[in-house]
Amino acid sequence: MRKFFNLKFILIFLIVSFLIIFNVFPMSYLIFRSFFDSNNFSFSFDAFKRIYNYSLNWNALTNTLITAFFSMVFGLIIAFPLAWLIGRTNLYFKKFFRTLFVMTYMVPPYVGAMAWLRLLNPKVGTLNLFLAKIFNLSENPFNIYSLSGLIWVLTTFYYPYAFITISRAMEKMDPSFEEASRISGASPLKTLLNITLPIMLPSIVAAGLLVFISAASCYGIPSIIGAPGHIDTVTTRIIDYVYVGSAEGLTDATTLAVSLMIIANLVLYFSNFVCAKKNYITVSGKSVRPNIIDLGKWRIFFTVLVFIFALIVIVIPFASVIMTSFTKNLGKPLTASNFTWRYWNILFTRKGILETAVNSLISASVAATAGVIISCVMAWLLTRTNNKFKSVPDFLITLGSGTPSIVIALGLIMTMSGKFGINIYNTLFIMIVAYIIKYLLMGMRTITSAMNQIHFSLEEASLISGAGWFQSFKNITLPLIAPSVVAGWFLIFMPSFYELTMSTLLYSTDTKTIGYELFTYQTYHSQQTASAIATGILLLVIIINWILNKLTKGEFSI
Amino acid sequence: MSSVILNDITKFYGNIQIIYNFSNVFNDHEFITLLGPSGCGKTTLLRMVAGFEKPSSGEIKIGEKIVNSKNKFIPPEDRGIGMVFQSYAVWPHMNVFENVAYPLRIKKFSKNEINDRVKNILEAVHLLEYINRMPNELSGGQQQRVALARALVSEPGVLLLDEPLSNLDAKLREFMRFEIKEMQKKFGITVIYVTHDQNEAMAMSDRIIVLNAGKVQQVGTPLNIYNKPVNKFVADFVGRVNFLNATAEAENGIIKFADGQFIKYSGDKNKFKSGKIILAVRPENIEINNNSGMLRGKLINSYYLGDINDCRINIGNENNNDNNNNNILRVFLPGNTYGKINADSEIYLNFDDYIIFDGDNE
Repeated sequence: MRKFFNLKFILIFLIVSFLIIFNVFPMSYLIFRSFFDSNNFSFSFDAFKRIYNYSLNWNALTNTLITAFFSMVFGLIIAFPLAWLIGRTNLYFKKFFRTLFVMTYMVPPYVGAMAWLRLLNPKVGTLNLFLAKIFNLSENPFNIYSLSGLIWVLTTFYYPYAFITISRAMEKMDPSFEEASRISGASPLKTLLNITLPIMLPSIVAAGLLVFISAASCYGIPSIIGAPGHIDTVTTRIIDYVYVGSAEGLTDATTLAVSLMIIANLVLYFSNFVCAKKNYITVSGKSVRPNIIDLGKWRIFFTVLVFIFALIVIVIPFASVIMTSFTKNLGKPLTASNFTWRYWNILFTRKGILETAVNSLISASVAATAGVIISCVMAWLLTRTNNKFKSVPDFLITLGSGTPSIVIALGLIMTMSGKFGINIYNTLFIMIVAYIIKYLLMGMRTITSAMNQIHFSLEEASLISGAGWFQSFKNITLPLIAPSVVAGWFLIFMPSFYELTMSTLLYSTDTKTIGYELFTYQTYHSQQTASAIATGILLLVIIINWILNKLTKGEFSI
Repeated sequence: MSSVILNDITKFYGNIQIIYNFSNVFNDHEFITLLGPSGCGKTTLLRMVAGFEKPSSGEIKIGEKIVNSKNKFIPPEDRGIGMVFQSYAVWPHMNVFENVAYPLRIKKFSKNEINDRVKNILEAVHLLEYINRMPNELSGGQQQRVALARALVSEPGVLLLDEPLSNLDAKLREFMRFEIKEMQKKFGITVIYVTHDQNEAMAMSDRIIVLNAGKVQQVGTPLNIYNKPVNKFVADFVGRVNFLNATAEAENGIIKFADGQFIKYSGDKNKFKSGKIILAVRPENIEINNNSGMLRGKLINSYYLGDINDCRINIGNENNNDNNNNNILRVFLPGNTYGKINADSEIYLNFDDYIIFDGDNE
């Protein structure tokens, strides 16, 4: 058994070292730098005072908090009824709606920003013009370049996070809780309010906080929508400061990043360690057959309502992006004479775009492969061993994923460019490290939950048959968890492939990524080319989702 | 006060039929058990009475009220019944008092009345001292009693119990049987109880309905079901039984076994016809004797179970010890006989209580 212990210890040591070097150390450095004077190492809040005395930064902070807060509230208001209607009632087309809403989760948020920019531009927004015409308005009803515009786009792109979290919790809730209430004399509505909502409250809070932190750390949406309207958020300010490039600029960026990190970690702590303790929903191996509520005469009404919602939030924006990619002159509607393949041609021929696509493909594949290997080891450590140190890497991985992308990237720039003996700046490697830290948790969760489903007696039966632990893992466990391993790989690959925020900070001329390339086209060159790239990414998401579904026989799709 | 009438109930899930034309009247104050293996449709029937499932056709009446018919459906909340779930379903965010008070609060009882009633019912289930506890501070048995109190607090005419004891350990299960039975007597309610455990069914029921694959096999008192099973399924599912393939010879009035031994038929001659039959006899209804009896046999093996001596006896050719249902009988003898039967000498078997099933209908 001695040898066994050593192996576990070595594995934990390797993972922990990786996380300490590339995550804990950079974060600590950022904190140190923002709280301690670089000359005499004395502790002070001076950096924070100075930076927030500048009203632009203070406004950015309040903007971030306001937009994140309202996105959370609206996200929950949308997600809970949707999850309930789709999970617990006899709504029509439930499966279709479910796939549709979950798919949005895998779409890069900046695609939404591009779409809504086209639709609700105060002067030429397609939807704006259409609405003004229909209702005979003297001016266009909406302006996307506003705080409420920002909240709208953030909400439409982050409510799926809450939808998925709440749906899962609802699936796991024992339906007898609701039935016991019905038989006690409570109507379905009273049951929803008295029983379902309170029992699900911890999960709902966790879902809301997830939306809050995702919206607060988002860079793609505020950079595309906020910039023209001069609406700054903490993330856009950080990038601005980094692009200034001076030492002072970096210090200011660091201080802002640390503020964001503190907010994120408080939220993470609250969500993971306070909410989880109050969580009544236990994960049971037993699958529960939910009690399907008959909507009766409301069935068609609610189906139409959900359909209209899907139309506004998914169909219209995506259609707008796709149509933009074929439009010659953006000032005119898409007619036969205004139709062109030109931008799709560019997508497949322009060297710059192809090179960035290859960069993204390489770094995302490497990150996903490394991430899945770490995830498998972690899943094994977490579910099959009693090592008391196993919670250390688990905690660090959770922490890493909870850290805003922009903070991870900034930390890596500050520490990994030779100052402390490691110089991976200007290489794809720094990108890969960043992706692993940010997205590892998704893979780990998927594989760990699959491992949990496999009773360890299956492995014991193999051990007792004479196979070693590695053989047992290879012959028994791996084939059983294979679908989740595939799913875990794609869950890391997809967001890494179209990543924007971290890439914006970490790229060099040779290591531009497709996400950044799209962003440059959108902001500086040609919205049509950007739309063609975005449509390409959308197609990739759909194709991968389909492959995943086929490969895992319907068990997994995103 | 409340009888439950099910009239010609069928249930389909898609193309699969779950319930075949179920009709029965559950009388007021009666303790009815739906007994059967998993998947037999017993829980579906119960959930249809509760209103959680709709029958594909048929009519359900509770008391004088039709709750389910072709064009009428009363939802669970308006049926005025109590129910205890297999998982207890004690709400984790409410303490014991709040859980039990919930049905009364929904029905808008006054504060004082709620207080009195909840305290009374908690006293009856011996939980008064736990009134402020949260569910996670209670044991399984205590949660079970909270669920029972909650189901009874608004004094329903009908109480439904869906395998309520299956998650409890053996000792507690036996204790709770009597508790539930006592409650039923005390409140004078109609109970519909679903279980796959024959001992539970025997101990508590006034009447048992044995179901298999959506079809009623037999309806009767525990005594009736146990001693006069109408088919092989019921005989086998309730209690333990030996099935012996044999041949009936009506002209001689005998039943012949595989290896030539026979017994005289002692029952109703009019029902006795020649042909292949299956003779069913319970292990505890067989006695042994050293000198004489209906059948001759030899002990193959015996197991000491404390209260009984579980023996296997071969009534056929000596060398044919593999059991193909033709010549090996399981016999329960008192525990103190263990080790006192000589495996080499012949012993004799006597039994009066046996049942004959047609040999053809499997």
